[in-house]
Amino acid sequence: MGDMVKGNIAIAEAAVRAGIEVYAGYPITPSTETMEYLSARMPELGRTFIQSESELAAINIVMGVSACGRRVLTASSGPGISLKQEGISYMQQLNLPAVILNVVRWGNGLGSLDASQTDYLRETRGGGNGDYRNIVLAPSTVQEGVDLIYEAFDIAEKYRTIVVVMTDSGLGQMMEPCEYPDFREITKCSWGLDGSYSVKRGNFLGRDIQAESDAYITKVREIRENEQRWFAAGLEDAECVFVAAGMPGRVMEGLIEEMRAEGNKVGLIRPIIVWPYPDKAFAELRAMNPNVKGFITVETNGEGQMIEDVALYAKKNGFGMVPCYAITQACGVPKDDMVKEAFAKIVRGEKKEVF
Amino acid sequence: MREIVFAGFGGQGILTAGLIISQIALYSGNNATWMPAYGAAMRGGTANCTVHYGEGKVSNPGQQKPDLLLAMNEPSYKKFQGIVRPGGIILYNSDMIGELPPTKEGVTAVGVPCNTLADEVGNPKGANIAMVGAICKLLGDFEYQAGIDGMNDMFRKKGKNKYEALNVKAFEAGYNYVG
Repeated sequence: MGDMVKGNIAIAEAAVRAGIEVYAGYPITPSTETMEYLSARMPELGRTFIQSESELAAINIVMGVSACGRRVLTASSGPGISLKQEGISYMQQLNLPAVILNVVRWGNGLGSLDASQTDYLRETRGGGNGDYRNIVLAPSTVQEGVDLIYEAFDIAEKYRTIVVVMTDSGLGQMMEPCEYPDFREITKCSWGLDGSYSVKRGNFLGRDIQAESDAYITKVREIRENEQRWFAAGLEDAECVFVAAGMPGRVMEGLIEEMRAEGNKVGLIRPIIVWPYPDKAFAELRAMNPNVKGFITVETNGEGQMIEDVALYAKKNGFGMVPCYAITQACGVPKDDMVKEAFAKIVRGEKKEVF
Repeated sequence: MREIVFAGFGGQGILTAGLIISQIALYSGNNATWMPAYGAAMRGGTANCTVHYGEGKVSNPGQQKPDLLLAMNEPSYKKFQGIVRPGGIILYNSDMIGELPPTKEGVTAVGVPCNTLADEVGNPKGANIAMVGAICKLLGDFEYQAGIDGMNDMFRKKGKNKYEALNVKAFEAGYNYVG
């Protein structure tokens, strides 16, 4: 087992090993350790580190590096990611891959520095203008963060899309032991610009927008089919299925074991990828156990955001009349007692369903 | 699974004390997590972190019901004494907390003059390490040598082993004080 390492730093090192040639970013708490670490690590390996003058500059550097077919990373937190949305939307239009780390902090506007999942809907719905989705990975441990960002670049290049790794200040700042993967050989994507002019010039006129949209949606459907990922436990006999991702997800992994030992028939779906949402987890649950009486999300935000996805995919898979509840805590790590007390209220009929 | 909350002023080595315990735990073959309270922390402000360790996976790394609270100053004692689990321990810095405010029922308070101990062994910056020694002894999870080895291993890897002898003395002073 490795030594204690901070989530932000472990994830940065894993991106280095995945073969990033450039990091460009602008610092913001609670993501800054990623950047601080890379400011020394990248030059040490003869790679490029740029502290840009703004988030806008950072995302446009990312766009340029990606256009050259090279691996590139930027990291920020909620407010900084907001500023990068224009660039992200443009990159999606241009089919340019990149990996973006969002170490989410609570709130609107400046918000606060607390760990939270308040950016869930923004990240899973695209975030900028247009009709696109980013693939969103939601690690729950430092090791999972390392493993997921290492793989994120392959996924991004496979579909030529943006992959967001969404952690929070909790996972970013906490320390846990982890093991690093091996260094990847640095390669260039075959389609990357090489200085010769081979791409047909485009403009607003004479385009077949329906065909462009159809082509993009074909890709989206392929991603939906191939990239669902989740962890499940206790679903065979569960009357209540908890659904939680990221930090609340790891909390629930331990807590459902305890709750089951206390005689509660509870199970867990922990989405590891939150877009595309694990539709198949609900389909498998329906086939295995049609007797589920309720879904309960555990989230760190105001009134639940992922609950919307749970309700949609429950309905899609034949659980249309099953109530969906949200147990929320605005920020921090959900406390075991808080979850248990809220669960008891649901069982007693004292807490109303959201959907 | 153990939970320890470390709290005090910024600059008292609170976060480092937590990290040393978590590294000792790893060194002894456990799993561990370390989570800082995150805010506008600075020297003289308040700082705290929560460490969990044990054989299995640590599912909840947050602050819940600690088995032990290390309170390096009075505000920390007042703020966190209420969350210590029944049967738990409050280890407090008796150099900075004079008259102890009332302790929760079922919780044992143990005072250690860690600044004095650290001064006496010629390592005035090692008050936090003296408390790490006291924690190892009070909880009984790590033998004396395992504690020393785990701590030294951490500082060696950080390239800070020139203070090794002094750190061992501070650890020993705290360990023996509660023994």
